Amino acid sequence: MLEIKNLSAFYGNVEALRAVDLWIRAGQITTIIGANGAGKSTLLRAISGLIPTRYGEIRYVGTNIANMEPHRIVRMGISHVPEGRQVFSTMTVEENLMLGAYLRSGRRKRKEVAEDLEFVLDLFPPLRTRLRQLAGTLSGGEQQMLAVGRALMSRPRLLLLDEPSMGLAPLVIKDIFNCLKRLHEQGLTILLVEQDAQIALSVSHYAYVMRAGKIRMEGEAEELLRSEEIRHIYLGEGGISEDELMR
Amino acid sequence: MLDFWRNCPQYLANGLANGCLYILVAMGFNIIYNSTGIINFAQGEFSMFGGLFAYALTVSAGLPIPLAAILAVLSVALLGGLMERLIINPLRRSSVITAIIATIGASIFFKSLGRVIWPLEAYKVPEFTPGNISLPGVTVSRQFLWVFALTVASVSLVYVFFNRTRAGKAMRACSVNRQAASLVGIDVFRMSLYSFLLAAALGGAAGLISAPYASYGMGLELGVKGFTAAVVGGLGNVFGAVVGGLVLGVLEELIPGFLHIVLGISTGYKGAVAAVILIAVLLFRPQGILGKGMVEKV
Repeated sequence: MLEIKNLSAFYGNVEALRAVDLWIRAGQITTIIGANGAGKSTLLRAISGLIPTRYGEIRYVGTNIANMEPHRIVRMGISHVPEGRQVFSTMTVEENLMLGAYLRSGRRKRKEVAEDLEFVLDLFPPLRTRLRQLAGTLSGGEQQMLAVGRALMSRPRLLLLDEPSMGLAPLVIKDIFNCLKRLHEQGLTILLVEQDAQIALSVSHYAYVMRAGKIRMEGEAEELLRSEEIRHIYLGEGGISEDELMR
Repeated sequence: MLDFWRNCPQYLANGLANGCLYILVAMGFNIIYNSTGIINFAQGEFSMFGGLFAYALTVSAGLPIPLAAILAVLSVALLGGLMERLIINPLRRSSVITAIIATIGASIFFKSLGRVIWPLEAYKVPEFTPGNISLPGVTVSRQFLWVFALTVASVSLVYVFFNRTRAGKAMRACSVNRQAASLVGIDVFRMSLYSFLLAAALGGAAGLISAPYASYGMGLELGVKGFTAAVVGGLGNVFGAVVGGLVLGVLEELIPGFLHIVLGISTGYKGAVAAVILIAVLLFRPQGILGKGMVEKV
């Protein structure tokens, strides 16, 4: 569905992505794990057009979308839930969700959008009771639900998720990941970026490991979950610290 | 002291009249700031063109006032749109400070352009309805009623636009978080264009109703006052501009009036009042009276 070939991106003169190759199969959950600063978020930002790329291509259903403007990429069916949720804090929950459907205006679409709103509210029941509340007043978990819900309102075919577990309590994380599984069962393709490798690998089909802007390893998620190296480095078993890893 | 109290209604009326103009200009500053992060130093020049176009269309071209007013506002909006496409949009990959400096350039250019076409120090713009209304203790011009009505109408329209329309909500989304806005599919550069159209129309309207005189130099004063009003109300808070404009307009009358009558100080420094208020607000309450809503950086 999405194929990234030899992709490089720079922040100033710093090479943030180095010749990244990545492949996302339709209907699967693909995950990218790696330490802070490995380039995971940068890769997502490159896919959704937030940062320019220098070399390589991002093929999405046959079109190269590298360096396309973000709003055009949304129109093509890719929706990005950014790191830190980034809800519109001074607007209501309902306004946030309806802005998610910004590109689906017009009378004919109105019914579809209303259906999708129902779908999102069923998926995340806490949002239903808070429709008129300002998004900034929600708890972290609710904001994450809102951010995912907002992204779903554009009816994407590919959902990019950046650190959905960040700063959330374990129970809330479990809730969110259960929802992701449900979305996947409904046919949504998901690219997940996570620091919490355990939970990310447990819901994914295929996984990539990034370090210093490069893909260092890839494989079936179950395989990686069993691999000694991954267990040591990313699952906190065996006592090798990230500092050691950076050497 | 008694004289001062007796004059108060008149000060309030004058302050309200000027405050209305400041509100319109200040809203323009805020709308552009919200969509783009830019302080548009050419905002005052939009008002200048509003006044000068009104003169050209009524006196030079002989059009009836309502038609001329509408055409003048539309022309200024168009000019604002051109400015965005020709100057601001090409700088979209540069820093905000670069764009702000470019607006200073635009302001100088607009002022010079105005001066080339309309070189005199003052052009008489006809009032919508001439004459005065006298009430006990207060005399206001009939024009004042127009200023008041048009300001109320403009503020209401802007309110409806931001809260009820798709484009308005998209612009609010941009002001909260531009990146998130682009991720829901909002074309943030289009919103930048809309903000200049809207701000120019509001500025143009202010210039148009600030009769009786228009000149190439009027943009500076209205720009400074409007900016002060925006800061007083809370930069980026579109409706804070209403509070800021009224507070500034009224204080600008009350303070010199008080000092003149009670302490016998001349009113020649009246223009400095806004500057002092601006500095005081920046020093002691930089977020303005209302602040920028309840924005939380998440």
